[in-house]
Amino acid sequence: MDFAFGPEPCMAIGHDILDIGSRKAQAKRQRGALGDAMSPAPLELGMPGQFDLPNVEDPARYCRTNFASVCGTGDEHQAVKFAKGTTTLAFKFNDGIIISVDSRSTMGNYISSGTVQKIIKINPFLLGTMAGGAADCSFWERNLGMECRLYELRNGRRITVAAASKLLANVMSSYRGYGLSMGTMVTGWDETGPQLYYVDDDGTRLKGRYFSVGSGSMYAYGVLDTGYKPDLTVDEAIELGTRAIYHATHRDAASGGINNLYHMTKDGWKFIHAVDVNDLHYKYAEEKKNAMAT
Amino acid sequence: MVAMAGKDCVGIAADRRLGVQLTTLATDFQKVFQLNDKLFVGLAGLATDVQTLHQELQFRLGLYKLKEEREMTPQVFSHLLSQLLYEKRFGPYFIEPIVAGLDAKGKPFLSGMDLIGATMTAEDFVVSGTCTGNLHGMCESLYKPDMDPDTLFETLAQSLLSAVDRDAISGWGGVVHIITKDGVTTKELKGRQD
Repeated sequence: MDFAFGPEPCMAIGHDILDIGSRKAQAKRQRGALGDAMSPAPLELGMPGQFDLPNVEDPARYCRTNFASVCGTGDEHQAVKFAKGTTTLAFKFNDGIIISVDSRSTMGNYISSGTVQKIIKINPFLLGTMAGGAADCSFWERNLGMECRLYELRNGRRITVAAASKLLANVMSSYRGYGLSMGTMVTGWDETGPQLYYVDDDGTRLKGRYFSVGSGSMYAYGVLDTGYKPDLTVDEAIELGTRAIYHATHRDAASGGINNLYHMTKDGWKFIHAVDVNDLHYKYAEEKKNAMAT
Repeated sequence: MVAMAGKDCVGIAADRRLGVQLTTLATDFQKVFQLNDKLFVGLAGLATDVQTLHQELQFRLGLYKLKEEREMTPQVFSHLLSQLLYEKRFGPYFIEPIVAGLDAKGKPFLSGMDLIGATMTAEDFVVSGTCTGNLHGMCESLYKPDMDPDTLFETLAQSLLSAVDRDAISGWGGVVHIITKDGVTTKELKGRQD
């Protein structure tokens, strides 16, 4: 069965019907078949052009205007709003790193989920956080996990946090301008000690002592800046991480749900707690009332 | 916000958030106002217009009472509000109000309006705000005709809380008013504070 489709030459309706309009289909037609439904061509990641891109003049600009995953009301004009909105934080102290996140995912004003796992376990010694576009973060951090494993197999030793974060930052650089949205913190404990790197979608990679990322990050910074000391005990650090996320979820509409908290030690990461932030609200209100009464 | 009719009673409920896009500024903002013994109006939308329109409506009701020497019925009030909004047709108040009250015979009256005064009267429930989709769904499932005041309270509370828990920019507590011929009961709802 043949039919004419726009300015393109006649094409048969087959398994590649979903490729209509993409560059891959056009290139395939020019080159001759490259893979078919039974054995599709392998996806080469990290190289733009290997993903299916819209067949327009400037795919980068098209993607970032129509498929952007931005906070607040930046994507109002889009028909599809991607899942995003969050507060994540991580801070280094003498006994390791505390990583504390919320669990809400919003699509526009709609709360699409209240139970998202925003801490991604890359390997037992590396944790990544998710902020920005949910799909972008989970895909690229899982990809990072794969790269880290390959490094281990090739080199016979665990990858350093600096190298892992560099791998992720390089990938983000190569997709710069395509409207990806990802603000993540790569944390781990390697032979140089506990390390914390901030990596985001325009290729920024920063080493630091503490970061907070997401729409609620400003509220978390307020609490974090006030309470942070390098010589916190583990319990004090956990309390600081919890409180910072609670305040952010209370003030920021796009953050909420459950506070997931992990502690990075020299033996790897340890899951500490998953507490509903609503319960935290009433607990802190009670504490404040008791403190004022005495 | 949402208003529902029961047997010889009406209820109106609203959330408590005041925010600017994603930032929450207050968790005790009043959006439902009692204008006389048997009349409530809920004003959803721009905060400044909520307050201005409330003052305007109080003024007009006061004037009516002085001239007519009787209380305004909800039907007349609804019409007044519609006219007030249409007066600003080319520079409207950014409000989508709902009116809930008991008329002279004690029968429930509910109406909702768009921002330029298109009135819609309903026998069962009216909704307004940012999560009307969620509210419509909750009300359609939970509403039953001829509920008594306690059942009406439960239904309103559950509809509101479940609806706002799926909307990022609504919530942070709630308030429910139930109006019967004997008086008004007001209860604060303990909602999610995130």
